[in-house]
Amino acid sequence: MGNIKSKFKKGLHLFLKYNTEFIIVILIIASALVSDAFFTERNIFNLLRQVSGIGIISMGMLLVILTGGIDLSVGSQLALGSVLSAYFLNISGYSLPLALFLTILVGVLFGSLSGYLVSRRDMAPFVSTLALMTITRGVAFIISEGSPIIIENQSLLGFGTNYLLSIPLPVILMLFLFIIIIFILRFTVFGRMVKAIGSNEIAVRLSGINKTIYKFSVYAISGGFAAMAGIISTARTGVGSPLVGNGLELDAIAAVVIGGASLKGGKGTAIKTLLGVLILGIIGNIMNLKNVPAYPQQVIKGLIIIFAVLFQGFQSKMQDEGV
Amino acid sequence: MSVKYRVEMNNISKSFGGVKALDNVDLHVKSGEILALVGENGAGKSTLMKILSGAYRKDKGSVMLDGEEVQINSPHIGRELGISIIYQEFALVPDLTVAENIFLGDIYQKNGIIKWNTLYEEAGKLIESLGFEINPRTKLKNLSIAYQQVVEICKALSEEAKVLILDEPTAVLAPNEVKLLFRTLKTLKERGVSIIYISHRLEEIFEIADRAEVLKDGKLSGVVNVEETNRNEVINLMIGRELKDMFPKRDTEIGKDLLTVNNLSNDVVEDISFSVKEGEVFGIAGLVGSGRTEIARSIFGADKMDNGEIILNDKNINTKSPKQALQNGIGMVPEDRKEQGVILTMDVKTNITMPMIKNISRIGVINRNQEKDHSQNLVDLLNIKTTNIHTDVKNLSGGNQQKVSLAKWFGINCDIVILDEPTRGVDVGAKVEIYKLINELARQKIGVIMISSEMTEIIAMCDRAAVMYRGNMTGILNKNELTEENIMRLAIGEDGNNG
Repeated sequence: MGNIKSKFKKGLHLFLKYNTEFIIVILIIASALVSDAFFTERNIFNLLRQVSGIGIISMGMLLVILTGGIDLSVGSQLALGSVLSAYFLNISGYSLPLALFLTILVGVLFGSLSGYLVSRRDMAPFVSTLALMTITRGVAFIISEGSPIIIENQSLLGFGTNYLLSIPLPVILMLFLFIIIIFILRFTVFGRMVKAIGSNEIAVRLSGINKTIYKFSVYAISGGFAAMAGIISTARTGVGSPLVGNGLELDAIAAVVIGGASLKGGKGTAIKTLLGVLILGIIGNIMNLKNVPAYPQQVIKGLIIIFAVLFQGFQSKMQDEGV
Repeated sequence: MSVKYRVEMNNISKSFGGVKALDNVDLHVKSGEILALVGENGAGKSTLMKILSGAYRKDKGSVMLDGEEVQINSPHIGRELGISIIYQEFALVPDLTVAENIFLGDIYQKNGIIKWNTLYEEAGKLIESLGFEINPRTKLKNLSIAYQQVVEICKALSEEAKVLILDEPTAVLAPNEVKLLFRTLKTLKERGVSIIYISHRLEEIFEIADRAEVLKDGKLSGVVNVEETNRNEVINLMIGRELKDMFPKRDTEIGKDLLTVNNLSNDVVEDISFSVKEGEVFGIAGLVGSGRTEIARSIFGADKMDNGEIILNDKNINTKSPKQALQNGIGMVPEDRKEQGVILTMDVKTNITMPMIKNISRIGVINRNQEKDHSQNLVDLLNIKTTNIHTDVKNLSGGNQQKVSLAKWFGINCDIVILDEPTRGVDVGAKVEIYKLINELARQKIGVIMISSEMTEIIAMCDRAAVMYRGNMTGILNKNELTEENIMRLAIGEDGNNG
């Protein structure tokens, strides 16, 4: 009896510990069962291409959340990135590298503004990035004068549609940034301090460390990443639009949270965040394949978030009780 | 069956995972009795008390209250049965008033409307009955820790506690505050309240307790009548060996002036001047809230100073941030190790290498071998008891957490190390080890500033000690002047008013 019980407990513990992995495996199996179209190369790459933007944004969001902050401006930042890349190419007539560089730079600058308000002015991240969210969206509308800017640059359009080793280019960019974030979190002083600040800011400061620079930087990086996601959006659709990315910040936060990160900071990994992105992506993908209308999709997405976070609650509770 | 004991815990066992935290432990306490519960960190005191108060469930054994077996399956049931526990970390709401905190569980109200006048009146009466003067309308966060503790006790009394458990209540108190607490406890005892008193401080046990129960490694090591025992017997029961000397000897040559503080003023302290020499242990005594910590924080750059100068090695450094302090060779072990000293959710190596992480990284990438070596060396040197360097600090005992907080400043060429209550909440064994480490710092010609509420510690460990009173330094005592009377006289203001 006791043996069965302890085995059950052990199994439960394993399940809770790897709940993100379990959810994605179950989702993939379920998807393959309900739709023949799911496990085709074409669909898988479509899926990955669709999540590349949100994947990149979630990596920036992860850094911010690890410090105990939040960045609500990323959806608007994506729109600004989309508009600016098209504007610089088509209206200013800059070369592609310059246009992309400037677009990312502006993203970093807008992110830095949040970073400054949070790290130097002690403003609550929720409030400062909320302000930046409306400011950035507004700027995107002003620059584009409210209408989409169509691009003709073949290289950028190609970036949205072409492949390298049969992998779509935006997916490669996402994986590249993903690996960089893994590296930063595992091996660098920066990554360690980001997590340490989210765990105990006071102890970090009293260890003789200037926490300001780290808190500032995560928002700058998040802004830059969102701008890159904006460029991908422009490349894929062929237009720079001030309307894109609406509500995307919530998807990014959801992905990070489904990946087991704590909104209090200090806890979370890049791999699990990527799994969180994929979970959201697969749900959307399979429901599209099965022609589920958009409204139920939202309900199901919300339920998945609730369950994922509930599991994590069980897990930490069981750890506290020493199971 | 005659009702002899208020509380009877019999054959209590509790395991966490595979680790047995309690193994067949008994605990008996009568009404109107003060039972001291002692033992090293990790001996199982807190677990036993959490079972009694309902925070944990026992695996085995029985709990009887007034002769009847009870199942205390939640803290709520515990409180309803009249069992209150006061932890070191208070369960109070900083932004509410004293009165609201006291009656938080059962606030005076009529149809959902709070009766403020009754609330303040009743809170005032309770506070007064313990002999204190605290305005019930004050916000809790404006009170010193000692007074917050009084509020906690009042809260327990408002719930008509029959059994009051205090987890190291004096760890945060200065000597005169301890006297007040003891007076309070004696009042409660006369009212018939059973008190279980967890403490590391043996002298207190002899002063306040009727009996002492000693736990060791999750087992009952012995129960003694305080009148019939002595320090050595209790220590023997606790650690299974005799401690010949709590305070290890130090033969260090004291060198030239290292740190000079001139006319330091900040929000709390005024016009503070003193100097610390190479290899000297300089104490700062005084009551909690007298400004000791604030001096330390200004020297370390954690708080800004309004006035004054800080001179280190003949150089005016006027520290503006902890980072600058570290660059100048000043380290600080803060008083609140869990909130400020260590990061509980990160591992031992990450904590230890925190201040010197840049020394073991190149272009921002941490050299993992150097990190491992450095932290392993310090774990060995400081005898930190941990499974390995990858264990989260939250899994270490209090004493070992404190050693981690200390280890941060070892081996990185500090000139000055400031220790704020380095042995607070630490058991006897770990205390001795920390004293040895302080001596080791002094031997390395480091100037040590030690803030402490324990007078015996100041007297035994310090070469000189300053005494604070209400933000002023009322005197600096040399080794031969360091007596309890002298420190107390200065700590309550030289004119000797009641304080």
